[in-house]
Amino acid sequence: MFDRGRKDDDTIESQGANRPGSDVSYEPTRPKATSRGGDAAVIGRSIQINGDLRGDEDLRIEGDVSGTVELRNSALTIGKEGKVKAGVYAKSIAVDGETKGDLYATERVSIHVNARVQGNITAPRVSIEEGAHFKGSIEMDSAAIEKALGRTTASDAGKTGAQTKPGNVAKTRTAPKDAGSDAGTKVSASAKTA
Amino acid sequence: MTALLRRARSRSRPDPPPALHAPLFHDLVTGLDETERYVVLDLGGASTPMLALLGRARCRVEITDFVHFGGIERLHAAEPGPELGKAAESLLPARLSNDAVDLVFCWDLPNYLTLDALAALMNAIGRRARPGALAHALIFYAEPDMPEHPGRFVPTADGQLMDCCAKGKTIAAPRYSPEALGKHSGGFVIDRARLLSNGMQEFLFRLGSRA
Repeated sequence: MFDRGRKDDDTIESQGANRPGSDVSYEPTRPKATSRGGDAAVIGRSIQINGDLRGDEDLRIEGDVSGTVELRNSALTIGKEGKVKAGVYAKSIAVDGETKGDLYATERVSIHVNARVQGNITAPRVSIEEGAHFKGSIEMDSAAIEKALGRTTASDAGKTGAQTKPGNVAKTRTAPKDAGSDAGTKVSASAKTA
Repeated sequence: MTALLRRARSRSRPDPPPALHAPLFHDLVTGLDETERYVVLDLGGASTPMLALLGRARCRVEITDFVHFGGIERLHAAEPGPELGKAAESLLPARLSNDAVDLVFCWDLPNYLTLDALAALMNAIGRRARPGALAHALIFYAEPDMPEHPGRFVPTADGQLMDCCAKGKTIAAPRYSPEALGKHSGGFVIDRARLLSNGMQEFLFRLGSRA
């Protein structure tokens, strides 16, 4: 099973190893942030959300979120203070805080130093910084990734993360600055301040 | 001026750990067939260089990080017998019938487990692995002492290992013999072993077919 010889074109660059013809890469360097922090809606430290969170803009979570998070075309950042117990589906996911649940990203997942992540990752690009703590699986087979991303919704992902209460949908809207307990981000009736 | 700046900058950077030639590990990772799918179980912590190396093939990597997620403590706290077996089971990812484990990286973890705990863990892994699956381990052998806590080994792009173990307090190494390891490795049997330049012995175990 493992006795095949090395292929001639089996070389990798310092920026990560890609199989020829594959989009999957694992980058040792910290990627550029996909979203500009100033433009993202923010769930502040004192906010707790229990339910489904959906939106079409970049979001930064510094509070506690349980349930599912779905930002299909946007970037999610889980800040240093953020604790997410949810299945997450986004264009890109960057983690500085804690997550428990599966992470699906159509572009990239970045786990930064001191982050603590438990769950399975499915994304074409994954980077894990030295000092980050991760427990779970990382799918690196591009065919399996496409299959998973094509089929999976956050609701499916949430089944392995936290329990989801049906009907608790928190939709993000325009929030120019840190929403915190302000009214900038509408988090519906299921959100409460700690 | 530029040369001076470059020299000053290079002086301020810590030297990278020396690369350790571990031939069995090298052959293992460079022999992965890029067209085949492998399920890899890594009992150590996640590292991007390791993912880069495994990313050459169609891999799914299961990372348990025993050190940072309390795996060693849970195994030590369990009584030998069924309780230990349950503890070992609970530390591993859920078993998927259609995606059995092909390759296991134990790194230096076995040195920090009792032989009973090692047997329980390898038995649990064996139940998730396909016959012929390989397990790679690094055992302290030549030196009487080892670091107090499991270290961190990071592969280079060409399949060498960087020994990133923190230098500090040491404890007595159990220096498990090949016989002891062979008896406490579940259904895995020693396939090959090599003594490395750092005094560790590199082992490759192979899971026998189950009757």
